[in-house]
Amino acid sequence: MAHTPAIPLQARNMWRYLPRGGWLLVAPLMVLVLGLFLGPLTNIMVISVTDPKPGLGNYAALFQSDALGGILWTTLRVCVLTTAISVTLGYCIAHAMIHALARERNWMLSLLLVSFWISVLVRTFSWLMLLGRNGLVNNGLEAIGLITQPIEFMRNELGVLIGMVHYMVPYAVLPLLASMQTIDARVLAASRNLGASPAQTFWRVYLPLTRPGLVAAALLVFILSLGFYVTPAILGGGKVLMVAEYISVQILVTLRWGTAAMLAVLMLGGVLGLLFVMSRFMKLSTVFGGTKP
Amino acid sequence: MQDKQFMRETLIEGAKAYKAGRMQRRTFIALLGMAGFGAATLSPRAADAAADRIVLWNWGGQSEECHGNAIGKPFTAATGIPLAFDTSGPLQGKIKEMVDSGNVTADVCDGDLFDAVALGQTGHLEAIDYDVVDRAKTLPGYALDFGVSVILYGYAFVYDTKAYGDNPPNSWADFFDTAKFPGKRSLYKWANGSLEAALMADGVAKDALYPLDLPRALAKIKSIKDDSIYWGSGSEAHSMVVNGEVSMGMVWQNRGRNIEQDTDGRYKLVMNEALAMPGAYIVPRGNPGGREAVMKFIAAAQSVPAQLELFDCLGMTPSNPEAFAQLPTDGQPYAITSAENINRVAYNDPHWWGNNTDEAVNGFLDAIS
Repeated sequence: MAHTPAIPLQARNMWRYLPRGGWLLVAPLMVLVLGLFLGPLTNIMVISVTDPKPGLGNYAALFQSDALGGILWTTLRVCVLTTAISVTLGYCIAHAMIHALARERNWMLSLLLVSFWISVLVRTFSWLMLLGRNGLVNNGLEAIGLITQPIEFMRNELGVLIGMVHYMVPYAVLPLLASMQTIDARVLAASRNLGASPAQTFWRVYLPLTRPGLVAAALLVFILSLGFYVTPAILGGGKVLMVAEYISVQILVTLRWGTAAMLAVLMLGGVLGLLFVMSRFMKLSTVFGGTKP
Repeated sequence: MQDKQFMRETLIEGAKAYKAGRMQRRTFIALLGMAGFGAATLSPRAADAAADRIVLWNWGGQSEECHGNAIGKPFTAATGIPLAFDTSGPLQGKIKEMVDSGNVTADVCDGDLFDAVALGQTGHLEAIDYDVVDRAKTLPGYALDFGVSVILYGYAFVYDTKAYGDNPPNSWADFFDTAKFPGKRSLYKWANGSLEAALMADGVAKDALYPLDLPRALAKIKSIKDDSIYWGSGSEAHSMVVNGEVSMGMVWQNRGRNIEQDTDGRYKLVMNEALAMPGAYIVPRGNPGGREAVMKFIAAAQSVPAQLELFDCLGMTPSNPEAFAQLPTDGQPYAITSAENINRVAYNDPHWWGNNTDEAVNGFLDAIS
């Protein structure tokens, strides 16, 4: 398997010179990123330890206030559930797409991308019309006599999960699709040929081979979920308060910018921490489509 | 919002390039067409070249047309200064950020009087010039150093006549009594009005509400939490009622009439014990149009015809006592300061909210989530 492509001599010489020239080429971008991204980011970190007064008071509030703990717990719970459900559904969809005929696969991909492009507000209000107290589903079920009281799909945590999963499924499908496309079908044939059952082939060969795609999908969905604002605010009926909405209220309404900055730093640290932990278990470059292990 | 901002910036850059001769006229006109020139000219930041004008920072929707006709037209006729709009919503945090950044683009904000208390004491606002603006043209106590109330809006509730037709609810006590009046409720998410309603329901007299007893109010809010959902914007409050999600819903009073019409009278507005909120004009420190011009604008907003037209157009109630007697008869049930309502509503204390918003809002969010 260890097969290193031979690099022609000329190309090798080129590689020797590229780094210096390469750095020069990306320098403008680096300056832009450092100035426009890291600058404000540093400012947020500074605010988190200086507003309203210097010190770690904002961070201490994490341990003293039940409210903050509650919000973080809600956020974590909703995000983990969204990730688990979206990745599971996404896995099924990607698997079906891989094994469909090319024409059907194109149709499926188009449908996926169309839903990808619909604005989050439109989706959110569509769910209300569909699953609200007076929505199509509840009215339909009442009309055929299956229920007497409307089912509470919306304006609670279930509503938030439905809305978020719907938004996130395409994000889960795309990395999984990319990962599944690289699997050599002959490996599976070999597994069956050597006596493994279909289930064994799936669990012991196919699933491990798609692990980088699974991790990529889960990371992508989880990190995007952390920042969700509109969907929880509307479908949660005000009762599902997630950290993004709370940060916005602290900035715009209560003017507790220190608390908002502290929570933002905490989220950033959480995501970086998550990436670090993942990197202990696997090569992250494979997850993001870099070099092969 | 972001693409709007992007279009604005593209246009400004285009205008600069055209002026400097770097862009052909045809190209520039094509650019205007692509960016939707009509929409962009209404936004203040695109028209940076125009010097004398007043930018009103408000909440969009119909208010652009209404404020433009009611206040903008007579003001421009009298002073020659045009009125422009920024409709992105002047929340306290945004005003603070704008003043702190030194890039002040708005002259007057359509805010709350408690914003004037909170941001006035932190030095983010220009003082109102009471040589130009008239203290007597608003309710007593609503002409403050850094803001003056030019309209009143309110927190009232609507109920489903089909659910409670024979014995309709008439007070916040009824609103919070889910045993006697079973059904879902909706309340405002950011504490204002909801806290006062809870205290009145718990037996506090409407003129003895302040300082608010937060723990008592929050306990009352929690008592109907399982039957409540919460809204964050006027349109959300409206749709929760119109879509039949709730049997009783707290709404901004000025939407009451629309809701009655949209539901063919099925939902009815109750003005008893409504909480009157002083909507105020406040001026960010260092406003581009200068203090003199903006004070004249605020004075124009106090005039009786302007106030009556705003009531007609948006349902915002006049704060100038001279206008009270001239309210149209068919609008009186929906106005806070009409003869039939003025003595049965409660009045918001901007000083308490200006100093306690953070605790009240965070306490409320913790209670409902």
